[in-house]
Amino acid sequence: MTRLRTFPGGAHPDECKELAEKRAVKRIPAPETVRVALCQHLGAPSTPVVKKGDKVTRGQEIGSQNGFISLPTHSPVNGTVAGLEEAPLPHRRSGPVVVISTESEGGGPAFEPWPDFESRTPAELIERIKLAGVCGMGGASFPTYVKLSPPPGKKIDTLLLNGAECEPYLTADHRLMIERTEDVAAGMRILARALCVDDPAVGIEDNKPDAIEAFGKAGIRVEVLRVKYPQGAEKQLIKAVTGREVPVGGLPLDIGVVVQNVGTAAAVAQAVRDGEPSLRRIVTVSGGGVREPGNFDAATGTPFSALIAEAGGYGDDVARLLSGGPMMGLAQFTDAVPVTKGTSGIVALTSKEARRLTEGPCIKCAKCVDACPMKLVPCLIAANSENEKWAAADELGALNCMACGTCSFVCPSDRFLVHYIKRAQDMIRASKRSKEA
Amino acid sequence: MAEARTFQLSMSPHFGSPQSTRRVMYDVVIALLPALAGAVWLFGFGGALLPVLLSVAAAVAAEFVCLRLMGRSTSAALDGSAIVTGILLAYNVPPGVPWWLPVLGSVFAIVVGKQAFGGLGSNLVNPALLGRAFLMASFPVLMTAGWSAPFEWRNPSAGFGTSGIPAAQVSALPEADAVTGATPLRAWKDSFGIDEHEGAAVRENLSTPGTYMNLLTGRRGGCIGETSIVLLLLGALYLFVRKVLEWRIPLAYLGAVALFGWILGGPGFLEGDALFSVLTGGAVLGGFFMATDMVTSPVTRRGRIIFGIGAGLITIIIRRWGGYPEGCSYSILLMNLATPLIDRFTRPRMLGEVRKHA
Ligand code: SF4
Ligand code: SF4
Repeated sequence: MTRLRTFPGGAHPDECKELAEKRAVKRIPAPETVRVALCQHLGAPSTPVVKKGDKVTRGQEIGSQNGFISLPTHSPVNGTVAGLEEAPLPHRRSGPVVVISTESEGGGPAFEPWPDFESRTPAELIERIKLAGVCGMGGASFPTYVKLSPPPGKKIDTLLLNGAECEPYLTADHRLMIERTEDVAAGMRILARALCVDDPAVGIEDNKPDAIEAFGKAGIRVEVLRVKYPQGAEKQLIKAVTGREVPVGGLPLDIGVVVQNVGTAAAVAQAVRDGEPSLRRIVTVSGGGVREPGNFDAATGTPFSALIAEAGGYGDDVARLLSGGPMMGLAQFTDAVPVTKGTSGIVALTSKEARRLTEGPCIKCAKCVDACPMKLVPCLIAANSENEKWAAADELGALNCMACGTCSFVCPSDRFLVHYIKRAQDMIRASKRSKEA
Repeated sequence: MAEARTFQLSMSPHFGSPQSTRRVMYDVVIALLPALAGAVWLFGFGGALLPVLLSVAAAVAAEFVCLRLMGRSTSAALDGSAIVTGILLAYNVPPGVPWWLPVLGSVFAIVVGKQAFGGLGSNLVNPALLGRAFLMASFPVLMTAGWSAPFEWRNPSAGFGTSGIPAAQVSALPEADAVTGATPLRAWKDSFGIDEHEGAAVRENLSTPGTYMNLLTGRRGGCIGETSIVLLLLGALYLFVRKVLEWRIPLAYLGAVALFGWILGGPGFLEGDALFSVLTGGAVLGGFFMATDMVTSPVTRRGRIIFGIGAGLITIIIRRWGGYPEGCSYSILLMNLATPLIDRFTRPRMLGEVRKHA
């Protein structure tokens, strides 16, 4: 038995994976109307290149890349542009959206497929990944091609695929890994070639033995990780697998590492090998608030409500609707928001499942301190934030908080630690900006 | 297509552990109960149970009145924290004291030690220990003399002989009958004030396996809750299992008491009795249940170790050279005051942080 790798700190939330982990991915047709966000990736939203009334085909560019940290956006369907508008989105209050009336979903590949990707140069591969609009599918939605283009002088020696999927309820990556092992494996080879890395590995938590086995059979190096939240956080994954620590304020590439989500790898394979832009993704719909949890392959622009309907509709008690898992996901005020490339899951929590909304005083039990995977002192940062002592919060390393929520999760007083720390981060950043100006 | 539905907004994380402050506090209450049973066995209902019950009732009542006067929710009076304070205060007074003493101590602990600072979580020092310090300062005689010996309640005429302290040692004590129910720690301390040879004989008597055994089982004089070491350990074990207790403070504290007890606790350097130091006085009660008070001990890991070692050192210094035989509670009080400072200077090395000096 291989040693289970992990990182210091962390917590063990109920996994709740059993609700959806056995449900095979079901491909659902695009709805009558899709609302495709132009800001599905981190960075500048793409610039719309279609107008109301335009006919669009599946895979056609409807938004063009707008700067280095940006991506083009493509239409997931054949249809007619019904309008351009500002609409609520799952990851931000609102953003520019292209509304398209769906006519059909068929058609050939948008780009020339490259089944012979091994003969392409890294530059060609990276260009294709960019043109296909591939961004991180694990949550942060960072443009993938940027991560593959390290500044000159930085040598990348390690590529890690992130298959940890440590958020409770979410099983999309798990299903992907066992149902589309070949896609992930191909994507991994493409990414390794783009980075000139020899021996890439995938990290998987040991609650997914079938995924571990599938990759093992496919001849991929698997690093088995202990089940612990947030094992899938980039820095924690790197620490667990390589023992290296990403320097404070730095990036994984500073220590020669690139991490890509397994979903991203599959999207890369589709883009390069099959000539398919990033148009769809697997979304877990789960939580006690839906009747038939499952995993669905949905077009971007599909409203959450349509996926909930696929999952048998809401149960009697839905206290909160989340985009993403319960630890880092974002609460939604409406289920009219559309699926984006970064939508890993839609979770409807009952009032029993959801965390209490009243907080008590900090009893300094230090549970948050022992659990923080960044080795911060959350209770003290939060106390300074509450007292508006921003400089003291900064000194305690508030900016290094990745908002993983572990501290709030373990707090017996249900303190809103993440909220206080995020507020401190905003204030510290603002004061740093004003000092520079 | 389905109608759009709206939902309540909230901040991540949306998931929480089943831990709650209330559960933590009641776990501590549960962990303290075996020692109460031991105390009743040793000191009787009137000597142990009644003071504890009165003390708890007074603490909860004081908490309730304070919360009511400040217009806060009075349900917090039953969050368990006042009960813990009430129990600990009573555990730190001698058996057989007048009933009003623990009541007064508890009220002081809650009103001055806790609510005056802003209530749960805001106090600087452990309220129960502050309450005890107040009683020590105001009623030194009641707090230090006239202790009832174990089992005295069953056989009032038996006096010292059945107290579990070897008779030889008793006779070695000056004015033995004036200090009925003297604690082993008092006997040990007094041994330094008498003739060198007699003192050495007393200490030798205190360092026998029989004494250690009596100390472990609680067959010795002492405050209500501090004597039954085995039962205190049982409670501590429960807290470990429930993940309420973390090992750093108890280990650092008791380790330091043993170490410094050996180094400084004897007539000469390195001539002390480490085991005796740990088993006597309130070291075990203090190490597991008072030094570990969450609110007043450091939150950083290194801080907890420093805190424990500091309190252990001060305990031994007070025991050896202070005015009282027992230094446990004062040492913890003093370290409580240092806690904010300790936390400040022991911030852990962040993931990926390169320290220039470390
Ligand atoms: S876990 Fe909560 S109560 Fe405990 S120290 Fe942290 S903030 Fe305070
Ligand atoms: S949210 Fe921030 S402070 Fe809290 S555990 Fe995660 S990294 Fe640490």
